Amino acid sequence: MQQLVDSIIAGGAFGKNPPHDLIYVLFIFIFSAVVFLGVAFPFAGIVSWAERRVWARIQSRVGPNRVGPQGFVQWLADGVKNCCKEDIIPTDADAPLFKMAPYLVMLAFVVPWAVMPFSQDLILADLNVGILYFTSVTALTVVGVLMAGWASNDKWSLIGGIRSAAQIVSYEIPAGLSIFPVVLITGTLSMQGIIKAQGWSPNHWFMFSNPFCFIAANILFISALAEGNRTPFDLPEAESELVAGFATEYSGMRYLFFFMAEWGNLFLIGALITTLFLGGWQFPRITDNRILINILQLVTFNAKVLFIVFFSMWIRATLPRVRIDQLMSLCWKYFVPISFVDMIGTAIWVAIWPYGNPVAGWILFALGVVGLVLFMRRVIYYFRQSKMELYLNPTI
Amino acid sequence: MGAASEYFNNIKEAVLSIFEGMAVTGSHFMRKPYTVQYPDRTETRVQDTLPFRYRGILEVDLEICTGCLACERACPIDCIVITAEKDQKTKVMTLLQFDIDIIKCMYCGLCSEPCPTGSIHHTTEFEGADYSTESMIRRFVKDPVLAYKPSKGPETNPQILPILNRGLNYLSEYQVSGEPKPGSKPEPAPPATTPET
Amino acid sequence: MTTLRTEEMTLNMGPQHPSTHGVLRFIVRADGEVMREAIPDVGYLHRSIEKIAEKVGYHGFMPYTDRVDYVCAMFTNQGWGMASEKLGKIEVPKRGEYCRVIAAEFNRLASHLLSVGTMAMDIGAITPFTHALREREMINDLIEELCGARLTFNYMRIGGVAFDLPPGWREKALAYLDHLEPILSEYDMLISFNKIYVERLANVGVITAEEAIDYNLVGPNLRACGIKWDIRKDIPYSVYPDFDFDVPVGTGQWGKLGDSMDRYMVRIHEMVQSVKILRQALKQIPAGPVLAKVPRNFKPPAGECQIRVESARGDMGWYAVSDGSGYPWRVHVRTGSFAAMGIVQKLSRGLMIADLVTIIASLDVIAPEIDR
Repeated sequence: MQQLVDSIIAGGAFGKNPPHDLIYVLFIFIFSAVVFLGVAFPFAGIVSWAERRVWARIQSRVGPNRVGPQGFVQWLADGVKNCCKEDIIPTDADAPLFKMAPYLVMLAFVVPWAVMPFSQDLILADLNVGILYFTSVTALTVVGVLMAGWASNDKWSLIGGIRSAAQIVSYEIPAGLSIFPVVLITGTLSMQGIIKAQGWSPNHWFMFSNPFCFIAANILFISALAEGNRTPFDLPEAESELVAGFATEYSGMRYLFFFMAEWGNLFLIGALITTLFLGGWQFPRITDNRILINILQLVTFNAKVLFIVFFSMWIRATLPRVRIDQLMSLCWKYFVPISFVDMIGTAIWVAIWPYGNPVAGWILFALGVVGLVLFMRRVIYYFRQSKMELYLNPTI
Repeated sequence: MGAASEYFNNIKEAVLSIFEGMAVTGSHFMRKPYTVQYPDRTETRVQDTLPFRYRGILEVDLEICTGCLACERACPIDCIVITAEKDQKTKVMTLLQFDIDIIKCMYCGLCSEPCPTGSIHHTTEFEGADYSTESMIRRFVKDPVLAYKPSKGPETNPQILPILNRGLNYLSEYQVSGEPKPGSKPEPAPPATTPET
Repeated sequence: MTTLRTEEMTLNMGPQHPSTHGVLRFIVRADGEVMREAIPDVGYLHRSIEKIAEKVGYHGFMPYTDRVDYVCAMFTNQGWGMASEKLGKIEVPKRGEYCRVIAAEFNRLASHLLSVGTMAMDIGAITPFTHALREREMINDLIEELCGARLTFNYMRIGGVAFDLPPGWREKALAYLDHLEPILSEYDMLISFNKIYVERLANVGVITAEEAIDYNLVGPNLRACGIKWDIRKDIPYSVYPDFDFDVPVGTGQWGKLGDSMDRYMVRIHEMVQSVKILRQALKQIPAGPVLAKVPRNFKPPAGECQIRVESARGDMGWYAVSDGSGYPWRVHVRTGSFAAMGIVQKLSRGLMIADLVTIIASLDVIAPEIDR
């Protein structure tokens, strides 16, 4: 983005001696508005609609399909409805903290969009500490959730908030440790750098580059789900126990902020996995037209991220909730040791093959394809056993 | 080694069972949803698809009501209020009031059983919601009418005959104590290919 | 060093809650996440149904029995029918008994489907709930054709049943049973053998056999502790001796004997056995009347009677006293959920709050049955 602004200034759009810093600030505002207001927030809303439709098909029913074509405007209607609700602040609640908590959680969701690598040129800020920035800012959620839990003056909210804080802080560790193998291979923390070190074909993705990275990818995905309070780790907002956990006392738009942050986090989870392990926006160089290439890469990036988002929704619909002590034991007894083993294993692998091992890439990719084929066979088995008719049309 | 094998066994079981669960829900993607999109996206009106025995909102066919008050006695919740006068000289029964309060009604069907002609019956109508409780009292008698006097032989009045037939048809669904329903033989057993568990 | 006093929280899992099955209240004394005790507070759904019986008479009380336990209304109907018949010394014709058993076993299927679905939802998996309700909808459709209502059936009368099987119903019922069996095994794959589910349910809320008998537990709760006690086999009534079926008992293979997983698996196996009974009943049903001759103003001689029916929630006891008039002197219902509430307080000591929900769900507690 900075190069784009520089080329605009050099093109003479601002006169002879433009004040560079002020122009940078202006363009930061414009581009941030485009990305945050135009992409992040609508995405959070659209994901709520998509999630309801996806769940509904899994549950043999139809999701929202009345408000607008195929129910697409449902999220806007929900947003408007929530804005019209009464703003209730409990009597003995700590009002400043109560009001600030949703904004902190929202901040933790919105700010990492600054380093989203949509394509080779479309990135708001190509920081050379991109991944570090990403993980550190998403940890702000803890503060927001704890504030919400405490300031609500409600014991159930407090329990939810404390559970959530413990969960997010614990799962930061396997998540961070699972990022290390990739950093070890590429030697850089910048998002674009990591993507450029991968190729477009699956055997060049980092996920298949060595078996330790494969396991690290899975652990990163599960830990990211846990950090985002998604099932199977959604104990803080466990609907059947604590009504809405730390967000019980919230109503209207404040409540929706928490959930927009959760839905929007899905994209961030997807982007993290895509950038680090699935090759990012890499697309075969079939043309030299810069704009066309950027568009193709944007489409590739979004397709991969949306697949991961869909997969998260699928997991949420299928799996039950893990209890808090089982969650903690899963993190500390299983994920942390395995992540350490991954890190050390990748270090040894990189020491032996500094430029990667293409054979390993092909073998792991083949194994992945085999696993997918086995999965599809089980799916077809269940489908045949139930003797229902095939109906693939998503619109009903 | 027992602890280590248990550790890896846990991981293996977790991965495999989650895999199976995802396969089950994955197969559900390809199935048709079971929802009936009432009220506007059904092929026929839902009320027309309901079975004949459906116990919806009550209705009275005053043309065939004999004024015997059996339904008022049978109702366990006293939602039927009937006022009928028998003129002592001419022995003619006049119905002055026949109110059914559909809020109180619990749709049990105990009133339709003792009716001799089937004039009080449940319909397949279930959409009775309204904004006031007064509108929920269905007053079936607008002006005083004569009660129906069942004729000795088959009914001859062509206007009453179809209504009487429908009422008797409805009644025939119920069981008469002690007598088998005509044709109550069960259908022959299904062919032997059905697994006999 | 002085000892630290950790404050104990008193939480209120109030009458309005997404996961207590109905209107129940628990006062939970918790030390952080671990509970000291969860004291149940019942009575929010009391409607004096037993007193109403004294006003409406024998025939008129039948629809009220639906509301005692609306999820398995056929069993309550059957219980009241049998109590009145025993008082009035009326014999139900054979076909009537078969119709009663068919309706009752379908209702057992529906009730267990609902219980299993809501248990899965309370644990956190939202899909099995909708799948179970989809199957239950099909049963509701069948029963709607049979008797006209989907939830509060009022299908049985004193002396038999109100409606005979409509033409073509047997075919539909058998087709539904064929459809249901693979779905039950699919259920197992989706939740029963899922590792997270097993971890949540195994070893949680263990009830030993002695405790179960002391606290008067019945039904699947009792059978999960290893005790083989089923009214249909041990004190047979109606035409159950004609059928060949097993009584599933908890085995303790997932954890200790008598934990929540056993209660869940007993219900799944009972559904399989109900399908078996239904197939036999639909095949063996004889011809004949379905309703015995009972006078409209039914006046049984003075006396009392006690009836036990194996409902979906266990041994439901009906006790009726007649004084010779057309209105009963006293009616009392003893339900399995009332006893199950008594054991919740003892089970909850030392468990986590998340487990309290699991226990309530696995005991299959239905609020209207507790309070009547």
